[in-house]
Amino acid sequence: MRIDGTHRRWALGSAAAFVAAALVYAVGAAGTVGPWSGGSALGLTFGVAGFALMVFAGLLAARRKVPIWRIGRAQSWMRGHLWLGLLSLPLIFFHAGFAFGGPLTRALMWLLIIVVASGLVGAALQHVLPRVMLDRLPMETIYEQIPHVRAQLVSEADGVVAAACGAISGDLATIVRIDADPAAPLRDFYLNEMRPFLESPDAPHRLADPAYGAQATGRLRTVLPETFHQAIADLENLCAEERQLSREQRLHRVLHGWLLVHVPLSFALLALAVIHIVMALRY
Amino acid sequence: MSEVVTLTIDGREVAVPRGTTIFDAARLHGIPIPTLCHQQNQTPVGVCRVCVVDVSARVYAAACIRECDEGMTVKTGGDGVQRARATLVELLMSDHPSPCLRQQQSGDCELETLAASLGVAEPRFPRRLSPRGRDDSSLAIAVDHEACILCDRCVRGCDEVKKNMVIGRTGKGGATGVAFDLGDPMGASTCVSCGECMVSCPTGALTNKRIVATELGGGDRVEVEELLDLPVFKGVSGTFLSLNQTAVVKRHYKAGDIVCREGEYGSTAFYILDGTVDVFISTPIKHVQQQGASDGWFSRIRSRLAGRSEDVRAGEDARRWIPIDAPVDLPYDDPIAQLGPGDLFGEMTCMSYHPRSATVRAATDGTMLEMLRNVLDVLQKNKTFRARLEETYRQRALENHLRSVPVLAGLPRDFVDYLRDRVELVRFSPGQVICRQGEAADAFYLVRLGFVKVSEAHPGGDLVLAYIPRGGYFGEIGLLGGGVRTATCTALDHVEVVRIGGEEFGAMVEHFPGVRAELERVAVERREQNRARAAATDAVVVGDFLAQGLMEAQSLLVLDLERCTRCDQCVRACADAHDGVTRLVREGLRFDKYLVATSCRQCRDPLCMVGCPVGSIRRRNSLEVIIEDWCVGCGLCASNCPYGNISLHSFAVKEADPDHHGRTIATTRKKATGCDLCMDQAEPSCVYACPHDAAHRVEPLTFFGSRLGLAVPGTAGRAGTGG
Repeated sequence: MRIDGTHRRWALGSAAAFVAAALVYAVGAAGTVGPWSGGSALGLTFGVAGFALMVFAGLLAARRKVPIWRIGRAQSWMRGHLWLGLLSLPLIFFHAGFAFGGPLTRALMWLLIIVVASGLVGAALQHVLPRVMLDRLPMETIYEQIPHVRAQLVSEADGVVAAACGAISGDLATIVRIDADPAAPLRDFYLNEMRPFLESPDAPHRLADPAYGAQATGRLRTVLPETFHQAIADLENLCAEERQLSREQRLHRVLHGWLLVHVPLSFALLALAVIHIVMALRY
Repeated sequence: MSEVVTLTIDGREVAVPRGTTIFDAARLHGIPIPTLCHQQNQTPVGVCRVCVVDVSARVYAAACIRECDEGMTVKTGGDGVQRARATLVELLMSDHPSPCLRQQQSGDCELETLAASLGVAEPRFPRRLSPRGRDDSSLAIAVDHEACILCDRCVRGCDEVKKNMVIGRTGKGGATGVAFDLGDPMGASTCVSCGECMVSCPTGALTNKRIVATELGGGDRVEVEELLDLPVFKGVSGTFLSLNQTAVVKRHYKAGDIVCREGEYGSTAFYILDGTVDVFISTPIKHVQQQGASDGWFSRIRSRLAGRSEDVRAGEDARRWIPIDAPVDLPYDDPIAQLGPGDLFGEMTCMSYHPRSATVRAATDGTMLEMLRNVLDVLQKNKTFRARLEETYRQRALENHLRSVPVLAGLPRDFVDYLRDRVELVRFSPGQVICRQGEAADAFYLVRLGFVKVSEAHPGGDLVLAYIPRGGYFGEIGLLGGGVRTATCTALDHVEVVRIGGEEFGAMVEHFPGVRAELERVAVERREQNRARAAATDAVVVGDFLAQGLMEAQSLLVLDLERCTRCDQCVRACADAHDGVTRLVREGLRFDKYLVATSCRQCRDPLCMVGCPVGSIRRRNSLEVIIEDWCVGCGLCASNCPYGNISLHSFAVKEADPDHHGRTIATTRKKATGCDLCMDQAEPSCVYACPHDAAHRVEPLTFFGSRLGLAVPGTAGRAGTGG
């Protein structure tokens, strides 16, 4: 989600809540004899509030499962998730008196820190990457459609080469054979370099580098007669499109990859928090 | 003066009645003289001069027009005559597209055959520089002006032999050619496709059109004589029928047999000779409705079909009749009607290839003629058939037709009877202008068949105001206003309108103030809508905006790509709101930083409406395109939408099992669906579900106005129709 002026109210509200909580904590901590206890009335209040915000933040996942339920606009839920989730961190710190405690609470604290940090990273990525994608992916397609588009690129490239060379398969180019078969260098380039690049884009390949691609096609232009130049230009375009698909895949993975950390740890955090609450209240 | 003259032809003395031409005298005595422009059944005109003969005069004489004189000596051959003929033929061949269509088809082009016999190979003379063109407008006859040698045989065939008076000469000098009526395309002229010109033509200038699927499979072959004995074919050219014998067959049906099904594509029309048929819509008269989200947590909602009694949608048309491709309309509450002997149905399917609008089932054993469009076209132009068809319409369908128009529904029977003999059924070919903006308004029109485009001239080009389907009407604004047409109405396909003259219209609005008030209200509404639409259009001159068709849109789903994280929540929400079938695809054209998603744009020029066989897709007066309950699921609107924004929604129905009487089987049917803007909700689900504030449903001019540097119209974009 892009963080801009439309977040002002949420940001100010959260900041005010944080300042108020901090003041209460400061006053409470100053008045407490001995070490700060999360089990005190004030500490418990911070704990309940912090946990409530964590639960609310976690409910976003459930909200996304029922996108058409009229229970508040999804963007309001998202803003709440962002700002209230962030606010839960200081509240839990106030609850714990900045102490990490035993193994369970220590794990809880670290989980919370990681979840909030990964959330912040995610928010930053969502703020920046859509604009990067807008700029760098003019031919962006639906992510799930990328394999299909790739298959189309291969088929299109096959067509271009077949039209230019007569057939895709054939003898490889040699100095002798170039005289007899002027299309051999193009076919050679396509079969040995470009097709593997189009078919296995995840494998490292020299054509992934646009500069190398330009050099390779430049060489083809010098050895092939002008009648082949249009085909070379078409193949260049197909390579460029493939590079863009790879770029889209990378950006998409980055844009959504952080969720692999954030979401499972959030559930783990909530589960451990429940265990912590039960244990704290019972024992 | 003697009644008989004696002359010598090629050394043979012959005697013929006075007044006989040399050509006929030679023919009577078995002496061949070649000719191109002359035929025995036509008055000779001597324009081609190929029949020149040597009569020992200063110049050669054209044998077809030169009468025999007493003592005349004629030489039909000889070097000089042959050279003259060869030169004439060579000159004709220099402009002739050899081999012409006739030569290709049957190898009997008279000019090319003659050229070969005279040894004329490649003409020495240059071809004409300006092409004379072709005319493909007739369904039965192909016209290739390039192959025309101006022999006038077609002119005489049409005027003298058939007395149709359609073909004549036009132009002067090198621009001379044959023309139909006043230079109309043949298909738009009064030509009745009798075929006389075609059989008269010596070259490939007029040929029998071998249209696709000219042969109908199955059925009984009908002999020409048998067809001509039928009253419906009275007056149709036997020549034409013999050339198109396979384009019409007789079919016998047993009671219960299905003749055609709604939604199917076809290319034939049916004429009932005997027996009766039921015409009905078997698709449930309901619309796809999404049930609310109250089924329980996490359960996927299901769509169902809901009729008007259960779910009346805003802007629902209160229409009581469903227009179909037959002489009757179907009552909305019980969509079934009967047709009998003399009725024709399937005209729109046949002429414009629209999908079948209804299912037809034989109610009794009967016989029908099934015909292709070339035969139907000829019938439509046949006076006997037209008169019969019009009579049937006046007696059986006019009243229903008038009553199907809401503003005229209240007309008393007396007045309908008054109109019955006064209205006129007029046909228009595709592209033909019915009335033109600025002309004097002299009639009110009801559309009986086809689609009419209403457009308004603007400095940047024409602005389409509406497409009027069967059952619609136009022309009232001009009559009620200043007497001048405010828009141009053009036939989009084969259109038939009921023309109510200005006098009758005047009587109607004078005697029935209620009708007048209603017509005036609609006229004012239409004018307002047109004005708003024109204002919106005039404001924009921005290339990309126009090129992407965004100007045509009244509502766009745009995704702000600077905010969108490609999470697809919008698509998921749409699918959830519509029974798991999304009506939006997160792909499309980009404008500025916005992606214009594939979702109904509520176009100003809604091409999706053109061709709907039952007129079920229409635009509400507010904004949205609505698909009425009687959609038969043919899918034409989906294929017509230039943006791929209409989809077909499958649903389960139970139908009678054709193999087991009295039992039903479960099957699926389809209805067209498009983005309904989630009208039952305050906000479209896709927008509501977007967590990143990236999805917006916007009125394009208002939303993009500042980016385009436009003065944004405040209320632009309300939809409506024109008149």
